[in-house]
This record gives sequence, C-alpha cells and structure tokens, in this order.
Amino acid sequence: MFFATYVRRELRRRMRQAIFVALGLALGVGLVVTVAAASAGIARAQDKVLSTLYGQATTVTVTGGRWQQPAKLPKGTDNIEPGPGAEICSGNLGDNKCVSGAGKTLTIIDTLAEGISVAKVAAAARLPGVAAAAGGIFLNQSTISWPKRIPRQSDVPLGPPRPGGHPPADPDGGRTGGYPLEGVDTADPTLGPLGGATLISGRMFTAADANAHVAVVDAGYAASHHLRIGSHLTLGNTTWPSLAIKGIRFTVIGIVSQAAGSNPPSVYMPLKAAQELNYIPTGPASVQDRVTSIYLAAASAADVPAVTAEARRLLPGTTVTSASGLASEVAGSVTSAAKLANDLGRWLAVAVLIAAFAVASLLTMAAVSRRAAEFGTLKALGWRTRRIIAQVLGESAATGIAGAAAGIALGYTGAAIIAVVLRSVSATVGSNGDINGSVLIGGGPARTVAVPLHLSVSAGLIALAVLLAVAGALLAGAFGSWRIARLRPADALSKVA
Amino acid sequence: MYQLTSVAKLYHKGRRTVPAVRDLTLTISDGQWLAVQGRTGHGKSTLLNLLGGLDRPTSGTIELDGTSLGALPETQLTRLRAEKIGFIFQTFNLIPTLSAAENVEAALIPLRIGHADRQARVAAALDSVALADRAAHLPTEMSGGQQQRTAIARALVKEPKVLLADEPTGNLDEDTRDEIINLLEKLWREHGLTLVLVTHDSSLARRAQRVGIMHNGHLTISDQAGSPEPST
Repeated sequence: MFFATYVRRELRRRMRQAIFVALGLALGVGLVVTVAAASAGIARAQDKVLSTLYGQATTVTVTGGRWQQPAKLPKGTDNIEPGPGAEICSGNLGDNKCVSGAGKTLTIIDTLAEGISVAKVAAAARLPGVAAAAGGIFLNQSTISWPKRIPRQSDVPLGPPRPGGHPPADPDGGRTGGYPLEGVDTADPTLGPLGGATLISGRMFTAADANAHVAVVDAGYAASHHLRIGSHLTLGNTTWPSLAIKGIRFTVIGIVSQAAGSNPPSVYMPLKAAQELNYIPTGPASVQDRVTSIYLAAASAADVPAVTAEARRLLPGTTVTSASGLASEVAGSVTSAAKLANDLGRWLAVAVLIAAFAVASLLTMAAVSRRAAEFGTLKALGWRTRRIIAQVLGESAATGIAGAAAGIALGYTGAAIIAVVLRSVSATVGSNGDINGSVLIGGGPARTVAVPLHLSVSAGLIALAVLLAVAGALLAGAFGSWRIARLRPADALSKVA
Repeated sequence: MYQLTSVAKLYHKGRRTVPAVRDLTLTISDGQWLAVQGRTGHGKSTLLNLLGGLDRPTSGTIELDGTSLGALPETQLTRLRAEKIGFIFQTFNLIPTLSAAENVEAALIPLRIGHADRQARVAAALDSVALADRAAHLPTEMSGGQQQRTAIARALVKEPKVLLADEPTGNLDEDTRDEIINLLEKLWREHGLTLVLVTHDSSLARRAQRVGIMHNGHLTISDQAGSPEPST
C-alpha cells in the first residue's frame, strides 16, 4: 500500500518525464507489434498461395520430369492433336489421318509430366522423416473449338505445345479453353492441393471412394457449370468423326472453395478414375500405373531438408520441391512486402526500441541524481538500499506498463492502417512446364493473383509487447539503481545542506 | 551510551586532505542532552553523521551500547539506524510527494510493522507534536514549523534511543524556533532520549546539559555548571 502510494505520487510529480519515457517505449513496442503483425499476415498470405499448390499438410512435392515426345508412340496408342488448317489428326506420328475441324469442338485431356511409378509412392512413404505420402495425377482438360468458316489456311507450321499442355495455337482461328483436373489419393486427400481447400457443401473423399466415379469440384467451376451436390459431369469424352472416346460420368459429392492462388484444380477425382480417363496423350503413353506427383508430409519442419534430399536420391529425373523452396519462387508484392517487413521493418523497430531504452535510462539516472537527498534521507531512516531500489524499479515498471499499453494500441492502429492501405498483396506464381517441367503449378502461363491480407495481433504478440516495454523500463531503472547503490548517505544529505 | 575514542575523519579532495574531525574522544551517557556549537565547516555535521552511522570514521572507534559502528556491515548499520537512531535535519528532509502521515510512516517501513499498528503509531506520533489535523497535508501545504514538527514525529515514531538533530531550528523564524525547541525538550524529557543537537544558536545550546564547541575538527566540552573542558 505504502509502496504503491509512493510510486503513484512520484510518477505524478514527474508526469511529463514519465509520459515522455512511456511514449518512447510505446513507439518502439508499437513498431514491433505492427511489424510482427504485418510479417505474420504476409506469411499467412504466402501460405495461402502455397497451400493451393500443395495443401496444408504437404511439405515436399515430387513431380515427374517433362515428357519427351518420342519419335514413335507404342503400338496401340492413339494420338490426336490439332494439325494445320483446322484439322484433327489421329494415329501415330508420321501417319496422320486428318479430318476438318470446322464448326467442331475437340476436348482432350492430357498431361505434360512424365509419369512416376505407383510403386515409388510406397517407397517414398518409407523414407526416413516421412510421415505420409500420397500420389496425385495432374491433368488438363483442354477444349478447342473452330468456327464453321475457316479463314484461308496458312502454311506456317504449328508452334510447339504451349505451357499447360494446351494444344498449340491454331493459326486458323481455333479457340482454346480448359480446366485443370487432379486425381487424389482418397485414403489421404489432405496431401496435395485439395488439402488447401475448404469444404463448403457435401463431403470430402474417403477411402471407400477409391474405385468410385465421384468428384469434388471447385465452387467457381460448380457455379459456371451449374453443378450441385448430386449433379453429374462427364469428363474425357470426345466425339469426332471416325473417333469416339467415351468419358467417365462423375457424381459431384462435394464443393470446395479454394484461395485465389495459382489456378487450383477445378475438379478432383479419385486417383483410379484419373488413371482410367481415356485421355489423349500429347504426353506419356499411359498413366495407368503411374502418378504425375508424389506429395510427402515430413514428420517435422526439421525433417524437410533430409526428406528433400532422400526423395531426390530415390527419384532421379524428377523435380523435388519443398514449400519453402517454392516460396522463394513466388514473386509479386507479397514477396516485396515480406522483405520490407522482415528486413527494414524489423531493424527499424529494433533501432527505435534501443533509442527508447537509452532515453529512458538517461532520464531515470537524472531523476535519481535529483532525488539524491531524498534517498539519503530514506537511508538515514533505516531503509535498505534494495528497498530504495525496489521503489525506483516499481516506478520504472509502472512507466513500462503504461508504455506497453500505449504501444499495443499503437501497434493495433499501425496494423489496421496497413490492412486498409494494403488490402491485398499480389502473388505471381510460375507456369506449368516452367523450367523444371513441373506440372504442379499447372494449367497455364504465369499468373498474378491478389491474396487478401489479414493482419492480426495475437495474444503472444501482446505478451511480447508488454515484456519488451517493462523490460526496457526496468533496464532504465537498473541504471538508476546502480547509482543508488553507490550513494553514500552523508554525501547525499550534504547536497541538501 | 556513546563512546568515541580517538575518532578522526579525513576527506580527500584531489591531492588535499581535509580533516573534518580530529582525534576526538567523547562519552555521551544515556539520556544526556549534548549541544554542539561551532562555525560552519568545523566538523559539527560530520560528527553527527559519524554518530548516526551515516559515515564511517577514518580512524578511531565509535561505540553505541558496546557495538562498534565502524565495524558493522552496511546492512546491520542500516538496521541499527532503523531501530535506534532518529534524525532531524535543518531542511526538514520530508519526502515531498508524501503527506505528513505518510512521511512519519516511512520511518516504520523498515521495521516491518503491520499496517494497523503502523497507522496507530503514526497517529500517536502526530498527536504528540500537535499535528493530527495536518496528517493528510503534503509538505508544500505546511509551514516550516509544521514541517519540522512532522520531521520530529518521524524521528520519534520508532521510539529510538538516540535523537540526532542537525540545526533543527536553522530554517525557522524566532517564534517557531522557540516552539520547536520547547517541543524537543519536552520530548527529550518524556522519552529519556539521548539527544545530540548541533546548533549555531547559543541560547538554544544553553538549554542542553552539556555544550561542546567544534573548532577545526576538535571538540571542547563544557558542562553547564563548570568551565570548558577539552573533549579528551
């Protein structure tokens, strides 16, 4: 009671100085809170982008190498691809049987990734540090439409296939469109892009769906194709003169929403169904016993480097990427903002905190000097040095707590301002068939998407703010306390005389 | 009882050595009132600081009830001051942010007395100096005489054996000075204190049982009945 009264009265006496010190601490702490909230928000934005690629549980991904088109496909394999002059040609390369595509639409499903044997999935699951492994098949459903009247044909040969497995651009006016599809291991659908999706109606896959023709679709795809739970959609069918490919009829069991990331799959289906689709290979001959990706969940963050290295050894010729590795490939303002927060923001906050601590220390030492006679009197009354020091530290702690409260308020305000100014950050993610032939990022050219930025101040951050402010104030008090400890009562009292 | 034997206190100022107290031997009996006079800078306050354990002698010994003050560690010396020695200063030395009652209470804090007991003793101490109605007032809200009475209450609230007063009336007008010294004398008689009072004022000094004159660090004692004697 006496202690609190003394502290309160003394702080009131030097109110201006106490406010000055508290504000200094508040500024430093407020910057720390703002920078930390911004860093956390940006990290969450990055995670959102990455989670659409990998799913939240996945930390290491293996993708097949880029498929190299052989001179001759295996016997019995049909190859259909748009040829020059709005024609569709089938048969082995070099033995084209072509028909006109005028007024027609061709739908093909393909992949550009070299398939990986399913046996390798089990082998990867046994790698040290791997908690779970699942295979996935990334496909593209491409649609090419030609008008009824075809412009004058050009003799210019078709260019190479465009990234994403889309058919080469038709110089005679064909349009293309398409959707990415993903076959998932229904025993562990959280591994892979589906792990980053949020179920908004229906249900997710279960192990019992392994052989079923069921699908989980993206909410945007469902809306544009008028799909609901229980609706049916057919994939992989192509009707063409002299060529009829039956597709598979899927029943929609779930609809998911996915963060605006890098073109996430529109339709998810069980792995077996993806393998059964009569897709038209411009890629490998068959994925019947193969997958295009293996998703690995490491047992802990510390295991990721080792798992990455082991996966590379097990699967040469593939691309092994961890979430942190892909994070470095994500460009856009999200990356710039992360650098700004982590580098400049952090150092600025540290510099301001140090300055605040220094000013607080100087002011406290000056106050102790001015109160030398008072402390000398207390020593004459029989107060032990440590009791006097406790009094000074109590005053410092009270100032620190006030600084913490103001700093938290400043931090909240700073975070709110950033959230209003920077409503979202942009993330640019690389394309399918990019440098490493990864089909994971699938479906099209490099895309820039806006990722909402949500800043929040966690309880841990508040605790850190309080700790920093109080520690800083106590540090200042410690300097003053050192002077008190050296104070000789007779000398202190002589100052009054 | 105080026993000082060949006590000296030297201050070193750069290359110079200033002897504040020289070769002082003195006995102060329990309950005795000793007034110490002398000009400024001749060692009066230094003697008081040595008696109060606020400073340590350069040489010689100071014993209070057989305990050598110079040999005590700081914590024990502090404890001794808390329990046995009361101080009154010329400039009152009240804590400016605490009320009269809280200033008096500050003297009881080191003794770890319970809150209720402390409050009772504070009230009694302020009552003994006729300041019960000023208990909640800050020093800036009191006259010089009231502040010094508060300081006296603070010195006596812990029921000390020794009261050391350094020019207690130095900052007061004549009427207030008389009021304070009358109060001190009254309390000295009532409590049986050993009172050592430093003063410029001869009329004040004459009221003591013994008077000492400090001159260049030497103390010459005279009792009120006889002629001056050196302090040895």
